[in-house]
Amino acid sequence: MKSMQRFGYPVFFVVMAGLPHLLNSRWQAVAITFLIFSVVALSQDIVLGKSGMFNMGQALFFGIGAYTTAILNAQFGWPLLATIPLAILIPAVFGVILAGPIVHLRGDYLLVTTIGFNIVFVQVVQNNLGGITGGPNGIFGLDSLSFFGVQLLSQVAVYYFAFAVLLLTLWIMHNLEGSKPGRALHYLREDQLAAESIGINTRIYKIFAFALSAGIAGLAGTVFATQYSAVSPEAFNFMQSVLFFSIVIVGGSSVPGVLIGVFVMFVLPEIFREFATWRFFIFGFAMIAAMILRPRGIWPATFGKIPRFLIKENNHGA
Amino acid sequence: MAHNELILTEVTKRFGGLTAVDALDLKVEDGQIYGIIGPNGAGKTTVFNCITGIYKSEEGSVSWRGEEIRGLTPYQIVDRGIVRTFQTIRLFSQMSVAENIMSGRHIKSRQKLWHGIFHTPASKRDEHENWKKVEEQLDFFDLGAFAATPVGSLPYGIQRRVEIARAMAIEPTLLILDEPAAGLNDKETQELLNTIFRIRDKGVTVLLIEHDMDMVMEVTDYLTVINFGKKIAEGTPAEIQQNPAVIEAYLGSEEDDDE
Ligand SMILES: Nc1ncnc2c1ncn2[C@@H]1O[C@H](COP(=O)(O)OP(=O)(O)OP(=O)(O)O)[C@@H](O)[C@H]1O
Ligand SMILES: [Mg+2]
Repeated sequence: MKSMQRFGYPVFFVVMAGLPHLLNSRWQAVAITFLIFSVVALSQDIVLGKSGMFNMGQALFFGIGAYTTAILNAQFGWPLLATIPLAILIPAVFGVILAGPIVHLRGDYLLVTTIGFNIVFVQVVQNNLGGITGGPNGIFGLDSLSFFGVQLLSQVAVYYFAFAVLLLTLWIMHNLEGSKPGRALHYLREDQLAAESIGINTRIYKIFAFALSAGIAGLAGTVFATQYSAVSPEAFNFMQSVLFFSIVIVGGSSVPGVLIGVFVMFVLPEIFREFATWRFFIFGFAMIAAMILRPRGIWPATFGKIPRFLIKENNHGA
Repeated sequence: MAHNELILTEVTKRFGGLTAVDALDLKVEDGQIYGIIGPNGAGKTTVFNCITGIYKSEEGSVSWRGEEIRGLTPYQIVDRGIVRTFQTIRLFSQMSVAENIMSGRHIKSRQKLWHGIFHTPASKRDEHENWKKVEEQLDFFDLGAFAATPVGSLPYGIQRRVEIARAMAIEPTLLILDEPAAGLNDKETQELLNTIFRIRDKGVTVLLIEHDMDMVMEVTDYLTVINFGKKIAEGTPAEIQQNPAVIEAYLGSEEDDDE
């Protein structure tokens, strides 16, 4: 596990940094999708994996971010990158507003409620709310990326934008792990009553988890809108949320687990495109098998991130 | 007015038709090791739950340092220096011993929510200081060797120690222990007694429930005996041992549910 951290991550970063130069344009698009969905799945991990809240509506926050970018660009002419602050903030505010009344609910009830939110969102954008969401066709013809007035037309630019967002997300996840709020999420997931009995206001931290998760998913939405120069309702429907949920559960609540999960769910189907109709059949079974054989996920969360000075010579375990 | 006194007056808690705690009066003074004993189902744990905010008693008052704390939430009560352990150990079982003890530092840590997103020099310092405090507890409870071990894989006796260490990491004024000796062997029980004395020597008031009569007599300064939610006696261990009502309640109940 330690060697994975020391060598795995640098290798992964180097490969990902060079990747677009090795791929043709179709595979570049697949790679961008991998990056975007990795960010959304990691954001889902904050709520589902780390905090143990059964949220099955993550596509909602992803969608709010994407629509924020699309509307500000198409209607108000904001450059895409300039929409980032609001594409983070608006989903995060929705995260707080929606989570507030529901975080005390037990797992299954919470799950159904979040599905409900997701369905409402898709209905709202489909019905062209306020005449700005574009209805069933969505919003298309967005600008391409520009950076201080320089147009970046190539897909490679979008790739590096997505890669930067993934790196930012990984950095935040890393900071979260080594902080008081991050640990509080683990504690309340493991035993809420015990967490409250040592002084943790679990409600605040649950809402924080939703807000942070929604903000990151919203940022991924900006990248998504940039990649396709468009947004449409079906990209954010409830089936997408089910996939993000499954990725965290099947992958395990860890960065490698989530990345493997995204790869299996979104990249492998592209590789095996010829088998079109068979692929979901096979993946369904693969999911079932993974859960039976590794109930805590393919690459389960590891705990024990404690400072080195606490680990004594004759340590038991670890 | 920082007089560390816990005073329960006429506390009553009902579950449906059952009165689990019945107009109970109790006064725990600063620096005491105070015991609550009683037969199974007497309502001892329920009293603790009423003090620590897990339940709200229907009637009566729970006053701590002159402040009414009945109706506050568990974390608000922890914030006021009252910390408890559970009869059935409640640790974060997948996490290491050190992380479990670190959870006790939560309310002492000055980190804000946004420090979960990015760190600052101050938050890093705070993080380090709190891990240092964890190290102190690891030493105090002789748990250093298990710092990195997932707590769920440890024997019962050590888990009990971790739970008390976690509570002590909060730096409580009043430590509430629910049957800390349950499931311990004689040697572990003896160690626990020493630990409780050492905790008291640090200036912490201790309120505990215990079944093991010998232990109660040895460790406590003052006792309340309850049965069917009502107080049937109170006094020093020596006084309680002489009390006919106590002897009857205890012998009577132990025949019923042969322990
Ligand atoms: N949440 C609850 N709902 C309903 N009844 C309860 C609840 N908690 C406790 N009781 C009942 O209240 C009474 C007192 O229970 P309590 O757990 O306080 O006893 P205790 O003195 O701690 O017993 P023990 O020595 O077995 O731990 C029992 O009859 C119990 O069944
Ligand atoms: Mg009890």
